[in-house]
Amino acid sequence: MIALAGIGRVFRVGGEEVHALRDVNLQIAAGEFLSIMGPSGSGKSTLLNVIGLLDRPDAGRYLLDGRDVTALPDDELARVRREKLGFVFQFFHLVPRLSAAENIELPMVLAGIDPAERRARLDRLLGEYGLRERAHHRPSELSGGQCQRVAIARALSMGPAVLLADEPTGNLDRHTGQDVMAVLERVHAGGGTLILVTHDPEIGARAQRRLRMVDGAIAGDDKA
Amino acid sequence: MRAADLVAFSWNVLRGYGARTLLILLAMGIGVAAVVAVSAIGEGARLYVVNQFGALGTNLVIVLPGRSETAGAMPGVLVGKTPRDITLDDALALKRSHAIRRIAPLIVGAGDVHSGTRHRETPVLGSTAEFKDIRGMELAQGRFLPEGDPRHSTPVCVIGTTVAAELFGAGAGETRALGEWLRVGDRRFRVIGVLAKQGESLGFNTDEIVIVPVAAAQALFNTSALFRILAEAKSRDQIPAAKSDIEEIMRERHEGERDVTVITQDAVLATFDRILTALTLAVGGIAAISLAVAGILVMNVMLISVTQRRAEIGLLKALGATGGMIRLAFFTEAVMLALGGAALGLAAGKLGEVLIGQVYPAIPFSAPLWALAAAPAVAIATSILFSVAPARQAARLDPVRALSKR
Ligand SMILES: Nc1ncnc2c1ncn2[C@@H]1O[C@H](COP(=O)(O)OP(=O)(O)OP(=O)(O)O)[C@@H](O)[C@H]1O
Ligand SMILES: [Mg+2]
Repeated sequence: MIALAGIGRVFRVGGEEVHALRDVNLQIAAGEFLSIMGPSGSGKSTLLNVIGLLDRPDAGRYLLDGRDVTALPDDELARVRREKLGFVFQFFHLVPRLSAAENIELPMVLAGIDPAERRARLDRLLGEYGLRERAHHRPSELSGGQCQRVAIARALSMGPAVLLADEPTGNLDRHTGQDVMAVLERVHAGGGTLILVTHDPEIGARAQRRLRMVDGAIAGDDKA
Repeated sequence: MRAADLVAFSWNVLRGYGARTLLILLAMGIGVAAVVAVSAIGEGARLYVVNQFGALGTNLVIVLPGRSETAGAMPGVLVGKTPRDITLDDALALKRSHAIRRIAPLIVGAGDVHSGTRHRETPVLGSTAEFKDIRGMELAQGRFLPEGDPRHSTPVCVIGTTVAAELFGAGAGETRALGEWLRVGDRRFRVIGVLAKQGESLGFNTDEIVIVPVAAAQALFNTSALFRILAEAKSRDQIPAAKSDIEEIMRERHEGERDVTVITQDAVLATFDRILTALTLAVGGIAAISLAVAGILVMNVMLISVTQRRAEIGLLKALGATGGMIRLAFFTEAVMLALGGAALGLAAGKLGEVLIGQVYPAIPFSAPLWALAAAPAVAIATSILFSVAPARQAARLDPVRALSKR
């Protein structure tokens, strides 16, 4: 489903070149649960951003569902993101002005989905993630765990093929982190593809496939 | 993205940043209100002047001695030799024209007016019975100058209310002026009428004049020359015919010399109209500069907003918003602000118009239609124009960088 071949990403910082990714080759099948671990600065986030079409690689080829997305125009990338990819971030990134429900609805609004259809999906998601009582609360009135559940519901509202999570538990206490992990694992159990960046070995170990990155390259790829 | 969602989203942003929104609405509103109020004042002044000319009498054609270089303008500077005087016979000859309903010769001078021990200096007008109708004058008491041969002098006069009050008793009400004798210079006149209060009418305050028969005025000021001839055309359409008739008759009588100026009320009016319209446009334009200033404020605030909402814009992109959608969201915001500001400004401008109308009830303040349409249009155009740069900046934001900064 995801096929990366010879992917490289170079940042230039003050005349110096930083190789965030070097010659990354990676195949991810539909329905996989993959964790990416490694020291800070090893390129985990950069890899996730490339897979998530938020960042363009400087070298290599990226096939998503058999289609070469390496050189697609920006607007087309946005459309693919909208329809196939869901993001969950360490710092939730909820819009503070909007209620939980409105935040969850946001991708559907951007996609121009019919309001009646939106309401139906929203209702299902609110129920599924235990957010019904919190639907009209602002993010500032929610706990960290609730915020991340809203973010996950939002990421799933368009029914994406792949869910990308960059340290989704990094900003949560242990107990809440377990909670969020349970939610993510449920998504995977439902047949979704889940790619998870984490620093927590315990959480990383829960994935069937564990990628280890060092210095921009894949240093290990364990499949259970 | 659906249009309704776009509006709802922008509405949410505007509500979320209330202080910012109010600030822009205020700036926009002041700009629009300024244009509306200023153009209302200009238009009021224009209408006031036009009405004043209207009060001068309808279908009026004025003949004055001397050839003015700038035709149609005010009595110009005379060039070359002293022109031939216009006489009473010239005036009476104009009655030949079929385009003219009536004429009134006019002599103007200043006279020392006495009644018993009281006296004052007033303008003294010499004319005929028809003067009253040409100028649309009303009488408060008595009657106007008698009909009859204008070459004969009768010792009667008609006086303004102020003159009546000052010379014949206190108070503005009924005076004992009627039938009394009045001395102007070394001649005596019997008061046969008192003019109704009318006030200023371009040049003269009719409340402060004394009107005597034209022949009497000629003797009084020791001149046979007329100051002016006022002629009334039979209708508006007849004004040009009246004008050419007058020029023809006067040329005949003056041995082929074109030495009089004939001005029509229309020409004078058109000149004033043009000047005052241009003036209104100019001050309206100056006021519109404040709209441009408001536009710059919009740009500034929007640029700050792009910086403030970096993470949000990055997020929207990660969620699948295209650059175009982001741009559109910013434009929608700008247009909504401009519409709100324009509505506020129109309301404030109208209110201002009513308020100054209360202070100066004589002047018909009312913003012209073009200002009511142009002010909001300019407000919307500037705010769209000035939000182009911020919207582009937002649309170009790199989502990874935007999201990485908390
Ligand atoms: N926008 C950028 N400009 C310059 N350098 C960058 C940029 N983004 C990432 N880098 C560099 O690329 C390398 C990989 O960064 P990346 O964020 O992928 O690391 P990471 O593995 O996610 O680290 P962490 O665990 O701390 O999140 C780092 O050296 C980083 O400094
Ligand atoms: Mg990272």
